Amino acid sequence: MKPTIPLLLAIAAGPAFAQETRQMDAHEHGVGSLNIAVDGSTLAMEFHAPGADIVGFEYVAETDADRASVEEAVVTLGQPLDLFVVPTAAGCTVTQAAAELEVEGAHDDEEMHGEDDHGHAEEGHSDEDDDAAASHTEFHAEYQLDCTDPSALTEMTFPYFETFENARELEVQIVTGSGAQAFEVMRDTPSLDLSGLF
Amino acid sequence: MILRLAIASLGARALTVAMTILAIALSVALFLGVEKVRTGAKASFADTISGTDLIVGARSGSVQLLLYSVFRIGNATNNVTWDSYLDIASQPQVDWIVPISLGDSHRQFRVMGTTTAFFDRYRYRQDRALQMSDGVVMDDLFDTVIGADVAATLGYAVGDPIVVAHGLASFTEHADQPFRISGILAKTGTPVDRTVVVSLEAIEAIHVDWQGGAQIPGRATPPDTIRAMDLQPSAITAALIGVQSPLQTFALQRAINEYPEEPLLAVLPGVALQELWAIVGIAETALLGVSAMVVVTALIGMMATIFSSLNERRREMAIFRAMGARPATILGLLVLEAMLMAAIGATLGMALLYIGLLILQPVLDGAFGLWLPIEAPTMREVWTMVGVVGAGALVSLVPAIRAYRLSLADGMTVKT
Repeated sequence: MKPTIPLLLAIAAGPAFAQETRQMDAHEHGVGSLNIAVDGSTLAMEFHAPGADIVGFEYVAETDADRASVEEAVVTLGQPLDLFVVPTAAGCTVTQAAAELEVEGAHDDEEMHGEDDHGHAEEGHSDEDDDAAASHTEFHAEYQLDCTDPSALTEMTFPYFETFENARELEVQIVTGSGAQAFEVMRDTPSLDLSGLF
Repeated sequence: MILRLAIASLGARALTVAMTILAIALSVALFLGVEKVRTGAKASFADTISGTDLIVGARSGSVQLLLYSVFRIGNATNNVTWDSYLDIASQPQVDWIVPISLGDSHRQFRVMGTTTAFFDRYRYRQDRALQMSDGVVMDDLFDTVIGADVAATLGYAVGDPIVVAHGLASFTEHADQPFRISGILAKTGTPVDRTVVVSLEAIEAIHVDWQGGAQIPGRATPPDTIRAMDLQPSAITAALIGVQSPLQTFALQRAINEYPEEPLLAVLPGVALQELWAIVGIAETALLGVSAMVVVTALIGMMATIFSSLNERRREMAIFRAMGARPATILGLLVLEAMLMAAIGATLGMALLYIGLLILQPVLDGAFGLWLPIEAPTMREVWTMVGVVGAGALVSLVPAIRAYRLSLADGMTVKT
């Protein structure tokens, strides 16, 4: 009986691996995205940016300096109103903010483990046990804001580009009760005219 | 004083001046007209669908999905399985969901299978709902509701029978399934006008006796038997979704885009429309550029007229000088004349535009669903007019400076 057990396991494991979905998000260096949804006085924001834009590297942090810069970035990203500035008249306060570093496409690279040895040293900041040899990292943050006067949200400026000098562009999508709109904010013109949206 | 002189001087050459003004007026009317059509087309385009938060279809591109599901043009996207549809419909963020099934046609018009919720949920031109111009929303399996253009082109009325065909350029018609027109929609200026709407089940019913794209010979299931059958579709083309709160839009979009069982795509209609317009917009800019060149041409024409008038007005200029006019006055007179012509031309152009709009507005709306609002000139248009007058002054400087020089040199000694 003994030899059949590994065999059975292999058969059982086969379909399990076959069913695993493999898909990855778009990843463009220099380009981050900011999604803003508004409902009444609540503003929900979602932010994504490649690791290269924020900390300048995408390997899993190895040295203390790397780890420090990742932590620093996460702390900075936890302060949305310093990065994405709205008029003070709108009276916005942050009610929730969470930022993290995601390692993309790492978990399904099972066969890669044999080839790469150097990736195992990390006790990563990310929550996955990844082999980051072929992966991209992405910073991800979610915010919730409460604004006393959303109609005063006439513009948004982006010190984000000063804080993170590798960032070139931010794709902003705004959803309100009346529909969705997209904008591209470039490093050269880091502001957005929102008048007429709210 | 100089103004009176300028007006009198223009009056003296009424015919040439009138021609110049007409050329400027036409060019300005063209430029402003193109601008009006451009903004009107953009607004009409963006107003095709509103009130829908997400469009879901098979993973393709946002523009392709939008084109196929809303405008019913371009390449067909893959279908979405009914299971995935039910899965998405059961998501807590979904307020309402309307399935759409495309692929059949009636003559040159698309047939769209959907639920009656479509009539309640579909919005266009800032939250306008679909209206019936005649009849009622379908409630029988073989009922159809047709768009205004379908009714007008094919001369259909409520109660008429209609045959739905398989595929788009169809030579095989589903002649065995008798559909009936239960209602006609009022004109919307959207692709809905060119659509035959049936229930989702009807799309299945059409294909009951069909297998592999061909009718099974000798088989014609009677309509009553079909009614009794289970006609739940196995796939749909796309679905329109409304979310409970805008705050959940992005979360739902991401959930759909990362749906593991099937590669799906959820797009924000407003954003996809913008992307599409960005592509179309290049032609729009080119058109605007061409009409701007027409204005420039008209102004250069004016410069040419002033130049040619200089010769015949040499004597006049000399008399002015003799009466004590300084060379600068001569220059000012010519520039003022040009500005007067440009201003009259621009105003006349604006008037022509409004007359044209009054006449063409209903025609354009009826024929192309293009609604051009008649409203007070925008700041942009006012600035355009100011720009034309300014440019007129600028081009007239060239002949004016020449006249200025001439009046210095040979003001008093006219050689004929």
